[in-house]
Amino acid sequence: MSDHYDAVQQAVAGALGLGEDEVTPDSTLMDDLGAESIDLLDILFRVERSTGVKISASELGDEMQGGIPDEEFGTAEGNVSRKGLEHLQTVMPQMNPDEWGDKLKAEEVISHFTVTNLADMVGRRAA
Amino acid sequence: MTLEGRIAIVTGASRGIGRGIAEALAAAGAAVAVNYRSGETQALAVVESIEGNGGRAVAVQGDVAEFAEAQKVIEQTIAELGGLHVLVNNAGIARDALIYNMEPQDWLDVMRVNFGGVFNCTKAAMGHFMGQRDGNIINISSVMGQRGWMGESNYSASKGAINAFTRCCAMELARFGVRVNAVLPGFVPTELVEGLVAKDGGQGILKQLPMRSFGDVGDVANLVAFLAGPESKYMTGSFFTVDGGASAMLGTGASL
Repeated sequence: MSDHYDAVQQAVAGALGLGEDEVTPDSTLMDDLGAESIDLLDILFRVERSTGVKISASELGDEMQGGIPDEEFGTAEGNVSRKGLEHLQTVMPQMNPDEWGDKLKAEEVISHFTVTNLADMVGRRAA
Repeated sequence: MTLEGRIAIVTGASRGIGRGIAEALAAAGAAVAVNYRSGETQALAVVESIEGNGGRAVAVQGDVAEFAEAQKVIEQTIAELGGLHVLVNNAGIARDALIYNMEPQDWLDVMRVNFGGVFNCTKAAMGHFMGQRDGNIINISSVMGQRGWMGESNYSASKGAINAFTRCCAMELARFGVRVNAVLPGFVPTELVEGLVAKDGGQGILKQLPMRSFGDVGDVANLVAFLAGPESKYMTGSFFTVDGGASAMLGTGASL
């Protein structure tokens, strides 16, 4: 587990007013824990304060897309392409391209983002 | 002193209410950046006055109606005074005219300076405040933002915008330890409203005010100092009128 997991767990629990036992490694920030955009901002500022690693909400999206142009990341139907999914798995290892096929809506990617995913991202930025 | 160790910036502080606020914050112990757009001599006089009373101040030039300049003003304040805790958005102009006679540029100019200045400086300073989980924003609005006055439609609209923005801003920043409030002065004779007392010494207006007197700059400045300090720590998203009872009144308020 990332060295930054504890810091991220504390930030998430603090921002959402949850007990730390309620914030598990696989909890998704949006779906499971109910974070909204202002909560995400709070989480990122708390992480910056405790770790010194600054990540903006827009960088979060950029990292998921990995610099792949919109028309290659998404299909015409607005779902994530195979190429997009393969990149996504490097940032969010639980997102297996074979399982998702062409069924993952681009706008729903963020709802699968977990506490561990964020801790890993902080770790990469800190390195 | 309640503001010892705090660092503040007051926009439009070379004269009028802004000057009074800068001096009141300094008197309460804050180091103060005196922002001005064009009145350098006056701004330096404010700095000198504060320093003469044993306070700490710097003059910072910049037109807050422009976002890039507002950013520069905030950055320069943080660099020169070593931080920032209190932002007083005070800079404002008036272009009074009946709507029928008003030029489109008259509302745009007023909106750009009055509301634009609030937005720009808030946006420029908020990341710093959120990062330190400590900050205080005080917007100088007006009772005209809550009530109407003929010939002040553009000014009134710009102040109404400040009030609406104050509420939303307070909500978004509360959890980051940042408070946002608005102060709504009534009739305070300064250069901005010199027309106020030009005619008959202001008698026509005075007889409409329950207190029968105009406010002075200190009445507004003391409230700002209170809002900037720890004694108001649970107050955010609120409006505070300083108007001698003017906006409490319905109609002329005369007895039947």
